[in-house]
Amino acid sequence: MLIDAALYGLLEVFIPSNMLFLFVGVFMGIVFGALPGLTATMGLALLVPFTFTMSPASGLIMLAGIYVGAMYGDAIPAILINTPGTPAAIATTFDGFPLSQKGMAQHALVAAAVASAFGSLVANLILAFAAPPLAKASLAFGPPEYFWLGIFGLTIISSLSAESMIKGFLAGTVGLLLSAVGMAPIGGDVRLTFGFPELQAGIALIVALIGFFCLPEILINVIGQRRATYTDKLIEPSLSVIGQVIKALFLHPILVFRSAIIGTIVGFAPGAGGNIASMVSYNEAKRWDKHPEEYGKGTIKGVAASEAANSAMAPGSLIPLLTLGIPGSPPAAVILGALMLHGMRPGADLFSIHAHVTFAFIMGLLVAAFMVSLIGSFGSFFFSRIINIPSRYLAPAIIFMTVLGSYAIRNNVLDIWIMFVFGIVGYVSSKLKFHPAPIVLGLILGPFIEEGLVQSMLAGRASGNVFAYMTLRPISLVLIALCVMSAVWPFFAKWKAVRRKEKEEQR
Amino acid sequence: MINANLWIGIFCGVLALFIYFMTRDLSMLGGIYVDFVLAAMGVLSIVMAIRGWMHPELIKIFSSKEEKNNVLIGVVILMVYLSILPVIGFLAASYIFYFCFNLYLADDRFGKANIVRSILLSGVVVTVFYVVFSQFLEVPLPESMWAE
Repeated sequence: MLIDAALYGLLEVFIPSNMLFLFVGVFMGIVFGALPGLTATMGLALLVPFTFTMSPASGLIMLAGIYVGAMYGDAIPAILINTPGTPAAIATTFDGFPLSQKGMAQHALVAAAVASAFGSLVANLILAFAAPPLAKASLAFGPPEYFWLGIFGLTIISSLSAESMIKGFLAGTVGLLLSAVGMAPIGGDVRLTFGFPELQAGIALIVALIGFFCLPEILINVIGQRRATYTDKLIEPSLSVIGQVIKALFLHPILVFRSAIIGTIVGFAPGAGGNIASMVSYNEAKRWDKHPEEYGKGTIKGVAASEAANSAMAPGSLIPLLTLGIPGSPPAAVILGALMLHGMRPGADLFSIHAHVTFAFIMGLLVAAFMVSLIGSFGSFFFSRIINIPSRYLAPAIIFMTVLGSYAIRNNVLDIWIMFVFGIVGYVSSKLKFHPAPIVLGLILGPFIEEGLVQSMLAGRASGNVFAYMTLRPISLVLIALCVMSAVWPFFAKWKAVRRKEKEEQR
Repeated sequence: MINANLWIGIFCGVLALFIYFMTRDLSMLGGIYVDFVLAAMGVLSIVMAIRGWMHPELIKIFSSKEEKNNVLIGVVILMVYLSILPVIGFLAASYIFYFCFNLYLADDRFGKANIVRSILLSGVVVTVFYVVFSQFLEVPLPESMWAE
């Protein structure tokens, strides 16, 4: 029955007109993902009204294309100009941009496309065949679990700040403090707005990302050092790179598979987005790698870990949506609207009465993943050449993107100034080796941790024991163990390396 | 040369103190997270400052006077651009910015060919941005304060 519905869905996708809609969707998605300030949610919301006149299957197939396309598109500026197109690509910058600096932008772009496709493929198979039981598991996530998931995310700082962990965690607290700006999620207090009503909604994440990652790069390399091009080496794309990268990724199947699983799991926990998925996945990839020292200096493994996870997050976030009607991410909420628009209600009906449309949508996601790998791999010839443009022409255009990206989120000039101030802070802090990545991580995880903490305390008080409520639930215990392991791991790895060196010296 | 760790510790410590006094009027629900973060920040700032004092890490922000001047002028150009953006709107401000920034980054700054090239590029690049974002993607752009 399930296999029949899946095959029927696949046939529906392969109808020529639906393939065209899917291609248009993927292309639009890549554009929306690649332009900082424009998000998958915006792309979906803009195109939902156009799907109203289509058949439900065609409309949903096109939306699937946009969603999957945007999940890859955000990697392009992350790799080329150190600016994540959406927050989900933040971890892609860690190795993507250093690869570009080495003249290997095409390697990074192909790795992102292939890993995205693989991540999406794994998550879609899970979505198609294991959605109902997994959806029940997502309901087991309560406030304490979200709090510990946020703290687990923070422990990533220990691997991001190999040079000085104290500096990294201090930067993380600056980010957590920035996340407190605006109206408190519980209680409604207006905090740290300094008289600007615009700040009541808090600091937009994309504004901080553009400010901390993109502007300092322009100030250091283009303006300060007057480099003629954005990278040290000119990019010369070649067809053989595609084969090399695919071969290299096939040599690390566990890395990509683990990342896809992490992305799916984070995706089906409602509220946790692609940014957390990619960060956690990057951290785990570095932790379990035999050569963790390669990460952060430009390795396709880092790009693959981040991209496989954030692309897997998309189908993952659809698991609670399709089965329970709980959107796991903002784009999933728009898709919920599209389903309702076509008269389909999430729940058991989607997998029985409307199974043909549901599986057409799921198979649309699957085929879109393959399309992304093709467009991304062959498009890398074009995309990677962008950074060969002399910086005196490219830098002002990038500045336009930073300005428009910051403004587009809330149509607010104050956001452009916040981006500028963060850019200056990012410039100075980079020079002082106080890297901005942990600041942004704190900003991402802050709201998550705050809601989990305050809700847990309220619920804990009602149950009579806050400590027991926060720590003794089964998933909480697992997450606490992971937090301890993640925080202690860098020390253990260092100790192991020293011991290995001593043994080699003795020999 | 500045002692990076010491200054980072002092700056973050002062920031934590400032925010602490700014947030004393918050309710219990709104303040619990802020206090949690400030406590962590305060402790880490003290550790950082002590570490900086005991093991100074001396860092030069600008490697040369030329780099310092380049960055300062670049920042001033950016500030002027952002200041005039809401006054004369995205289109006009960006034409001026692209032209000036292109001249500033060029080696033959005031050569005739460079000026002509900068004007042409400014016209093409800014217009393409305007059409793509404003007309095609329908993204609102900063408008002039006199626009209706």
